[in-house]
Amino acid sequence: MVMLLVSCSKSFLDVPLQGGATTESDPDLAQKLVTGAYNSLLQGDSWGSGDVHGFAFVSVTNIASDDADKGSTADDQKVPVGDIDDFNLTATNKFAETLWSGHYNAIGTINQALLALSTANIDNQTKSRLIGEVKFLRGYLYFNLVRMYGDVPLVLRVPTDQNDANSDPAFQTRAGKQIVYDTIVADLQYAVNNLPVKSASAIGHANKGAAEAMLAKVYMYLGQWQKVYDLTHDVMISNQYSLVDYSLLWQQKGDNCAESIFEIQTGSYNNSNLGISNYTVSQGIRVGGLGGWNDLGWGFCNPSTDLINAYEPGDLRKASTIIQIDNSGTYKGTILWDGFRVPSKDSVQNLYYNYKAYTSSSKETFANPDDKDRPRNIKILRYADVLLMNAEAASHVSQDMNEPLNLVRARAGLLPISATIDAVWRERRVELAMEHDRFWDLVRQGRASQVLNAAGKHFVAGKNELLPVPNSQIQLSGGKLSQNPLY
Amino acid sequence: MDDRKRLRKKNNWFRNNFILIYYSILILINLNVMEKISTIRQVVTCLKSFLLLFMLSLTITTAFGQGRVITGTISDALTKETLPGASAVIKGTSKGISADVNGKYTLSLLPSENIILFSMVGYETQEITISNQLIVDVSLEAKRVTLDEVVVVGYGVQKKSDITGATIQIKGTELSKQPVMTVTQAMQGKVSGVQIISSGSPGSTPQMRIRGTSTLLGGTHVLYVVDGVLTDDITNVNTSDIVDMNILKDASSSAIYGSRGANGVIIITTKKGSSKSGKLNITYNTNIGVRQAANLVKMANADEYKNYYQAATGNAITGETANTNWYKTILRNAFQQNHNLSVSGGTEKATYFFSGSYLNDEGIVLENQFKRITLRTNLDFNISKYIKTGIQASFANAVNENGFNNLDIDENGNIGGAFNNAYRAPPTISARVGDKYGNVSAFNGQVGNPLLDIQNNKVRVAVNRIQGAGFLDITPVPYLTFRSSLGADLVFRQARLYDYKFLNDESTFDVAGGNQLNSLSYLANKNIQNFKWVWDNYITFTKAFGKHDIKLMAGTTAEKFNETWLYGSRKDVPADPNLWYLYNGLANSSQNDGKGDIWTRNSYMGRLNYNYDSRYLLTATIRRDGSSRFPEQNRWGTFPSVGLAWNINKESFMESQKLFDILRVRASWGIVGNDQISTDAFTNTVIPNLAYPFNGSASSATNGSQINQIKDPNIKWESTSEYDFAIEFGLLNNRFTGELNYYNKNVDNALINVNIPSTVGDADHVILTNATSIQNTGIEMMLNWKNRVNTNFGYSVGANITLNQNKVVGLNGGEPIYGGNIGAAQGFTTLTDNNHPIGSFYVLQVLGVFQTDQEVLDYKDEKGTVIQPTAKPGDFKYLDKNTDGKIDDKDRDFSGSYQPKAYFGINFSVTYKKWDFSMDIYGNVGNQVYNGKRAIRINGKDNIESDLVYNRWNGVSNPSQSQPGANTGNLLASDYFVESGSFYRINNLTVGYTLPAELLAKLKISSLRIFATGQNLYTLKKYSGFTAELPGSPLDSGIELSSYPTTRTIALGLNLNF
Repeated sequence: MVMLLVSCSKSFLDVPLQGGATTESDPDLAQKLVTGAYNSLLQGDSWGSGDVHGFAFVSVTNIASDDADKGSTADDQKVPVGDIDDFNLTATNKFAETLWSGHYNAIGTINQALLALSTANIDNQTKSRLIGEVKFLRGYLYFNLVRMYGDVPLVLRVPTDQNDANSDPAFQTRAGKQIVYDTIVADLQYAVNNLPVKSASAIGHANKGAAEAMLAKVYMYLGQWQKVYDLTHDVMISNQYSLVDYSLLWQQKGDNCAESIFEIQTGSYNNSNLGISNYTVSQGIRVGGLGGWNDLGWGFCNPSTDLINAYEPGDLRKASTIIQIDNSGTYKGTILWDGFRVPSKDSVQNLYYNYKAYTSSSKETFANPDDKDRPRNIKILRYADVLLMNAEAASHVSQDMNEPLNLVRARAGLLPISATIDAVWRERRVELAMEHDRFWDLVRQGRASQVLNAAGKHFVAGKNELLPVPNSQIQLSGGKLSQNPLY
Repeated sequence: MDDRKRLRKKNNWFRNNFILIYYSILILINLNVMEKISTIRQVVTCLKSFLLLFMLSLTITTAFGQGRVITGTISDALTKETLPGASAVIKGTSKGISADVNGKYTLSLLPSENIILFSMVGYETQEITISNQLIVDVSLEAKRVTLDEVVVVGYGVQKKSDITGATIQIKGTELSKQPVMTVTQAMQGKVSGVQIISSGSPGSTPQMRIRGTSTLLGGTHVLYVVDGVLTDDITNVNTSDIVDMNILKDASSSAIYGSRGANGVIIITTKKGSSKSGKLNITYNTNIGVRQAANLVKMANADEYKNYYQAATGNAITGETANTNWYKTILRNAFQQNHNLSVSGGTEKATYFFSGSYLNDEGIVLENQFKRITLRTNLDFNISKYIKTGIQASFANAVNENGFNNLDIDENGNIGGAFNNAYRAPPTISARVGDKYGNVSAFNGQVGNPLLDIQNNKVRVAVNRIQGAGFLDITPVPYLTFRSSLGADLVFRQARLYDYKFLNDESTFDVAGGNQLNSLSYLANKNIQNFKWVWDNYITFTKAFGKHDIKLMAGTTAEKFNETWLYGSRKDVPADPNLWYLYNGLANSSQNDGKGDIWTRNSYMGRLNYNYDSRYLLTATIRRDGSSRFPEQNRWGTFPSVGLAWNINKESFMESQKLFDILRVRASWGIVGNDQISTDAFTNTVIPNLAYPFNGSASSATNGSQINQIKDPNIKWESTSEYDFAIEFGLLNNRFTGELNYYNKNVDNALINVNIPSTVGDADHVILTNATSIQNTGIEMMLNWKNRVNTNFGYSVGANITLNQNKVVGLNGGEPIYGGNIGAAQGFTTLTDNNHPIGSFYVLQVLGVFQTDQEVLDYKDEKGTVIQPTAKPGDFKYLDKNTDGKIDDKDRDFSGSYQPKAYFGINFSVTYKKWDFSMDIYGNVGNQVYNGKRAIRINGKDNIESDLVYNRWNGVSNPSQSQPGANTGNLLASDYFVESGSFYRINNLTVGYTLPAELLAKLKISSLRIFATGQNLYTLKKYSGFTAELPGSPLDSGIELSSYPTTRTIALGLNLNF
């Protein structure tokens, strides 16, 4: 009997892992990993494991800009959000840390997908499309990283184990901004070459138009205006996109509409909401202990008076961008597009809220309507953005600025004007308000210090263009990771 | 010598000789008969005739008595069971008698004879001087574990005097008198080196640490071996069924359990039938009592709350007229009862033991109830001289309704939330107004009505468990035994959660609004099934060669564990409990999940016991363990141990001294392992269901997966090497016994999560790997004094103390580990770093309270920067430890840990005539507690503790330096929240009375004891919260968030034997 146990002991202890699929045990893995890479765009664990489009993203894009104030109560999230709002942030800022980790988490899933695709048994056409899709995502994520942090580690492969991760300098040191941009351009160019146009591709997937528009935007930051002009022009003549009713853009009815070029998809899965964590709830209307009605959210990211004043009279976009709380003393409240009545200021914490983050429990469909953090698609690229990029590029390459600019103005109910670069910038601000580009636009345009300090913030030129590299990451690298200037 | 005396002497001579002759004849007859016996029937016949003759002899003996005839019953002092076969002998003579099946004896005494010796194997002999009484009932005390007794060690038994490691035995009778559910709870304070952290929650198992914390992230479960079946959960074992528990504390004793032994091993032996008396024993034990919360925190009442709120915010609360004591609302005096019935007996060929028990504990929180039924049968058969076999089987059914913890379906059940909310809910809101609830959340925003919390969700966890083991012993030659035993453990666990539907409107609440609502009812079920078997095969060789005693054991064990679970939930299930099945729910809301786990172990082990002349002893063990939980290259580990002992009292030079009955020293060394890590720790797995809704909200999402973890492919066991030195002694006829141990325990390769750069693409940014060392050193001391002063009076006092020092010594993975994140403005609260105990509190240091605005401005660093520019008078002044001119996490410092510097137990017992009394005290010293529930106050409308209203800093009228002014919470993590966790408690106090035997004889009852017992009667503590006993994981224990308060129990009971 003893002998029997000895002889069978090896196989007796070789127990296959139960219930946890491994790279060997799932033949459809490569395709699922591509979907999983898209899923990583939904990260919004802003205080925890990582954020790509959650509250931290909202903070460093909208709240840091002159479009929005921190909101909520004065003390609520003073650290880290208040510090971001007023450029008082340090290298230990939690949101600066989770944005870093969230983006690298996402890049990790993409690299895993690329690794699995390299050996996957699927036809070449599908394979190059899938590679194109994830390279598009990787290009976009590095584009965010380079805009947030400048030089960043350029991780393009999966480490084999922790020793590999600790020995390859790629994981520990920052690549120059130019090299990062070169990689972004290469990834997006691959996507342009290998992805089908919108009408030929499935909804929600990255397509040729998205890749061209994203690449155009990258070139815009690089100042390569001819390329911006050509790429946006390509998108405009592709016959795939048109402008729609502005008020529908941030309702479910406007999801994946004709104007949409690339948007973060949200919806439901397994009878639960599937969206970006904390995106809508952080920006929802806050009661703050007043009155007796139910909070819709935490009340952050309030449109600023500066933004409100930026709209020309008669601009239809204003009413679709800003929820204005009734402060007239008549207690009529504010009726929203779905008929929901928000009480007056006596019951509400702040005066203005972001309409683009509002979801309706009565007129929209959700797996779990009770959840305050209801999913909302975010449009990362839309046709109006392309028109405005085209107009801006046109001014540099001596092409017609007026037509693309006035197309955007006409939709907003405004009269045509004779375009100038300032007019395009102003148009860009109100058209894309609360859509996460404003802060980076100001930096790109070289007037962040001037505009933001005028708005009463304490922006330090040469420092606050970039976020600090997280202190924890510098420590983990043993000091190999360098810090941005003045942090 | 006068005539009378001469005559008496003659009579004595005659009587003594007559009896001698009589017995000689009797024995001869019986011997003749015995020779002819060949069948069982003949045995019985013979026994009958022997018994008849025996009875006859009694009559004759009695008839010849010239002096007094003394009768009485001999019973066990503690259990009150009668002791058939016990002997009563007249001192100085050979005259004596054995007690009959009912423990009765009758003895004739000549006038000159007045001292009787009562004795029985396993009991202390008692000497009684007879004066006038004719009825003398005697209760014999079971012998303490003396060095000649046999104790259970892993895979065998050993004489106590031969043991070379640190083991301790506790008798079941010492444990079963306490009205507690698990035996672990009853062990508290009984033995040194074993810290028990109890929980008042019905159905929960207390946490146990043997010789300090020896892991960070590995499992902390102590290994229990119940009649040979290995398990980490003994909630299915009825305390009354336990004969004894042997605790293997050091590595040399537990190394025979190899990779399982690192957290200590407890071997439990359950009762068996006895063939000694041939009698059927029936016992019935019961206790019925009442429980209540032992230490409640006094919260502010409505006026105090309003006062504080106004002071903190400047706003008055008006219009609220209620004054609710929320704890009073959700707590109650709970009824508990426990019944045990057992039947045992046997013959030479077979013995049996059956028992059944029922336990019902209501729990002190409304709606909470725990019920348990256990059944056990232990059967042993002597098939022949060479073959023995036996089987033990138990069934347990436990149902926990609305419990606090222990629920896989929902970590806190409903009570966790309710308890927390009762602490926070404002007293100005009514619990109920008519048939409607007071709307707490409409006022407070973040806290719901605790009463509604409790009544709104129903959680039920039912566990059915079957555990059994069978063995076969073959002894072909007297010195060789082969044993094969197979154990199995099958657990079914069904959990169900139901949340009622209710809205925040006026049909539920007195006023509408707030966040407390559940717009759709919800039902969730989770069923878990696991099965484990373990098969041991080993050979034991025992032989003496002159003064050399050798015992060799060698064998193998194999073990397999298999678990599957299934989860499902739906919404919109009707409120009628008979309809609480998924079938009735909204199919479109279905969610389900399920998974499984399998692991196996295979081991080889050997042990050598050698002793020379019972003076020099050696034990050496080795175990080689293989586990499927580790990668192939690290799968096998070897765990050796060696122990040496010297019984000095058996040396020839000790013969002349009378002081020491026992004097021995021992030393041991061994290595044990901890393999309690998850099965997938080294395999890189795909995380499924990371879907993406490509079509937006229009349709359901596409399934997706990620590989988002980097794993250490070389993970291995945590291994603990331990030295132990001890001295044991017994003095004054073993009245005074004790032992002193020193141990030094080093855990190497302890698992920790090493931080890795975010760029690597690991979602949680850590890799679990073996990268630290932990050290526990300590001293344990146990002393016992025991004395029987006379027939009527005896007493004993025992004390034990353990001093333990824990520290992390080789955190070589880089960063120290933060833990105890309790949210709010607090962040983490503990830090585990080199040269400090695991999970030490790491917080800001409070220097005092700012009294004036000027003091705020005067608090500057060297450069003149105001350190706390936003502070107001009444705010805390924190130490700027790194002198950088601001207060942040870098200014934190170590502030003690949850691990006590010492813990101790004191046990008294007194017997006087038919009365018995015992008292157990337990305490620990030098540990700290983090008052987390106070610290996470983030909402100014949360209630506060009453004393804070009065003791708060209040300008010139109360210029406190230790309490802040009225505030709205969100205080930083500081040593203000760190409080002393030292406490002393009367764990148990019992008074019993045994009814006189004559009274019971008519009722055919052999003994009846009634008793009253109080559990946890009085606690002396410094800590301001509910309890300083706070179980938790190694990195974040000792933090009180919403703990179940310890409970006090008063119970009455009886022990009945037929």
